[in-house]
Amino acid sequence: MEYLPPQSYLALSLILLAIGFYCLVSKRNMIKTVIGLEIVTIAVNTAFMSLGWMRTYPANFIDPLAQTFVIISIAIGGIVAALALSLVVDAHQHYKTLDLKKLRRLRW
Amino acid sequence: MVIEVDLVTVLRPLIALITFSVVAPLLGYIEGKLKLKRLTGAFATLGLLIALLLSIDMPKALLTEGAVASLSGFGPPLGVEIRVDALSIFMVLLFLGLGLLVSLYSIKYMEHDTGLDRYYTMLLLLVAGMIGVAIAGDFFTLFVFWELMSVSSYSLVAFRKYRWEPIEAGFKYLVMSSLGSLMALLGMALLYGYAGTLNFHALSMIFSTSSVDPFYGYITLTLIFVGFGVTASIVPFHTWLPDAHPAAPSPISAMLSGLVIKAAIYAIARSAYTIFNPLIFNYGVLFTVFAVVTTTVANIMALLQRDVKRLLAFSSTVNIGFILFGLGVAAYGLRIGAIAASLMGFIGALMHLLSHAIGKGLLFLAAGSFITRAKTRNIYDLQGIGRAMPWTGASFSIGLLSLSGAPPLAGFVSKLLLLMSGYSVGDAFMNVVTSLMLVNSVFAAAYYLRLLQVCVIRPKGIRAETSKEVSALIVVPLVLLMIALVAIGCYPWPLIEVAQKAASILLPLP
Repeated sequence: MEYLPPQSYLALSLILLAIGFYCLVSKRNMIKTVIGLEIVTIAVNTAFMSLGWMRTYPANFIDPLAQTFVIISIAIGGIVAALALSLVVDAHQHYKTLDLKKLRRLRW
Repeated sequence: MVIEVDLVTVLRPLIALITFSVVAPLLGYIEGKLKLKRLTGAFATLGLLIALLLSIDMPKALLTEGAVASLSGFGPPLGVEIRVDALSIFMVLLFLGLGLLVSLYSIKYMEHDTGLDRYYTMLLLLVAGMIGVAIAGDFFTLFVFWELMSVSSYSLVAFRKYRWEPIEAGFKYLVMSSLGSLMALLGMALLYGYAGTLNFHALSMIFSTSSVDPFYGYITLTLIFVGFGVTASIVPFHTWLPDAHPAAPSPISAMLSGLVIKAAIYAIARSAYTIFNPLIFNYGVLFTVFAVVTTTVANIMALLQRDVKRLLAFSSTVNIGFILFGLGVAAYGLRIGAIAASLMGFIGALMHLLSHAIGKGLLFLAAGSFITRAKTRNIYDLQGIGRAMPWTGASFSIGLLSLSGAPPLAGFVSKLLLLMSGYSVGDAFMNVVTSLMLVNSVFAAAYYLRLLQVCVIRPKGIRAETSKEVSALIVVPLVLLMIALVAIGCYPWPLIEVAQKAASILLPLP
């Protein structure tokens, strides 16, 4: 079976990174901010995998260290997302809105 | 010489903390059923005390270059490694000591809050995460414990979630800090892509050969610096800190300001010095320039604050600038051959880390007990409250004097070492930078002394008239921290020796 070379996955991760940063900077909805954070997490995990694969490239496997690290990182990403969403729920109960501009009483 | 030790022996304090954190919710349930107060708090304090006692034989590793432990069959360069050297011991004992006092303070201070089982679980996990960061021997271990620390600190900042401020500050802290962790993870990915290992020791071997592409090295270094720099609150990544610190309960402000940002500075120092040899990568200039920008901006912001906790939060950023300056002098001095100045800079950075951790922990705890009595965070409403609460007032004054650098307190020793190291490098760039730091140091003393004058020296205000001294359980940690500041200021030599040992292991001295 033919695979795309690891460089293409690295390029994909850079595109995802750009999308994630755009989402974090431009979106005003709290849930969309969390989604942006998750896209960045996925981008970094993909970058880790593709950089790991580049070292072994013509061979068709990735070093287990990179895989373990990425699995742990996915789990941590899940924990952070859950915590962020629970804060979003609390914010919604207080303000009845998810608009970051409206609940910005702190100076950023 | 590096000695091999058993993994379980090294991890004993960590295992104790995690066991206690798992049992704490159960205790919270029993506490609720039996209508006992303070049971979970006492239990968590006991856990930290046991962890401190278990780590007491750690200093044996000071006699060697460090102790290494790894999971059998999964050792370096690929597997998990725990590495305990002088710097790790310095950090671990600081984390456990201040953590113990904060937990003791929380027993009384937090007793009217609900959800204390969660609070103490998170507090124990926070300390466990920081210890893990300090004893990690590879980036994999470091990252896992880093996230343990970060996640517990996010939830602790948002602990009082029935108010608006902790929710907003917690969300902001979560977004910024986890973005920072991801940038550091990207840096680790690049390191792995280059070297095929994440072990500090193996990476230092690979990156100290001069065939390394410097561009690749600098990109990686920048990503790691920015990533950990968000949690260390280096300007321009500091904006979460002045919101998160006032929003958190006071003991947690003390933990964040005293320890969490120090763990971040530790991570920067460990990854920069072990992996990137200062003789090949010129990051001394980067560190010192960031240090000057950080202290200057945060000083100006601190001067404008009316909220006592917000002022103290900005002052944490100022002091991170000072620590970063010491690290920068160490790297810069090595590069141009001023070995003595370089060593002194590193020792100064470690001593300032210690004196600021103790001093700022003390100030946040004391400010917390002022706030419980006066029910306000405005400095001018707290007028003269130190007179109404003599013990708290005295420790608050000692903390402020130490941070402003008055002899014979701990802050004087560390600032003296830092500024002396900067001047003894002896070239024009470093002289200019050190003079700017000296100006900043005096500038910082100005608002510490204003705070001292308003809160302690002025006659009692309206709110101070009705305030009385807090209970003994709250005063004991304050007095212990005050004694520590005076003791370190009068007799810093043993600690300087440990710091020197740490410097000689970490810096690639010729």
